[in-house]
Amino acid sequence: MSIFRLLILSAFIFIAIGCVRSERMENLYAQRCLGCHGPSGSGDGPVAALLPVHVPNFLETVRNKSVTQIRKIIMDGKGIMPAYEPALSKPEVQDMVLFTRILSQRGRNVEWWERFDPLVWAHCNVPWEVVLGYDEPPEENKPR
Amino acid sequence: MNLRPKGLVIGIVAAGAFLFGEQNRAISGEPHPHSIARPASRRQLHLPIPDFSLTDHTGKPFKFQTLRGKLVLVAFVYTTCPDVCPLMTASMRLVQEKLPDRKRSSVFLLSITTDPEVDSPQILKGYGERYGIDFSNWLLLTAELQTLAPVWKAFGVGVQRKARGLVDHTPLIALIDGKGVMRFGYVGSSPDHKVILRDIDLLLGSR
Repeated sequence: MSIFRLLILSAFIFIAIGCVRSERMENLYAQRCLGCHGPSGSGDGPVAALLPVHVPNFLETVRNKSVTQIRKIIMDGKGIMPAYEPALSKPEVQDMVLFTRILSQRGRNVEWWERFDPLVWAHCNVPWEVVLGYDEPPEENKPR
Repeated sequence: MNLRPKGLVIGIVAAGAFLFGEQNRAISGEPHPHSIARPASRRQLHLPIPDFSLTDHTGKPFKFQTLRGKLVLVAFVYTTCPDVCPLMTASMRLVQEKLPDRKRSSVFLLSITTDPEVDSPQILKGYGERYGIDFSNWLLLTAELQTLAPVWKAFGVGVQRKARGLVDHTPLIALIDGKGVMRFGYVGSSPDHKVILRDIDLLLGSR
């Protein structure tokens, strides 16, 4: 393989990896979510035990919800969970959606192609809902 | 492009393995410092609180002096707080819920934001609704930073903005008597509502 081709292949791999999970996502999750949802999203964060409500496991909630539903909960809040829409930018909310999805995949027996979902709909500025037909597109993106 | 099949397959398999591993890796980041749950410490005080004017969750002006004669439970929280504030507001909510009807007219609750950049009256209203707050004796207050800063200072609350929607602040719930004097301060993430209710009884009995 020529160096040129190797570089192209490396670039593809790095772009793919960069789209899946980033330090920015981890920091965002650690700052805003980890206290209740815990390091793996199982609802066992240090604050969770003191709350008067049950913090659900992502395996029981996020895994069964659509991307649009997850985004709405993150933006609007639910119960005592904060509404992050006023504080976070859209790319940050998108990162949160993606990260919760990643955590919710643990131990799941997924089809091989599903593992590459995030490549398409991560923070790569691809209109992923439309590309995948994964969910109804957000209101602002619907054709008029 | 004429990539050799063997090299391409190796590359894709390597990327796939990495991605699969990434998706199954648990986060190792540390939570926000405030999320280390500590029981609240109760302090008995005698700190007169000066009058102040803020805006409530309906957008109406609010004057602290209008509550003279009532016990006032004041919490300093903000709506996107991911750690201490949910515990504090949940505790306040339990105080409101467990308060006997005969004492209800003698006690008022206030939540004062420590993040005026994000917490508009509308945002505060949504926050209160999500907690199931009864707004008849509980107001959520905000204002411009220059108006709020002296109020924080009067209660001894330190506030430090870390990022948009992420603020470090003294996790204080204060119990004010009918003369506008702070009598008890509960500093910490998890104040016991039973202790607060007992102190309310104490102050109502001593009037």
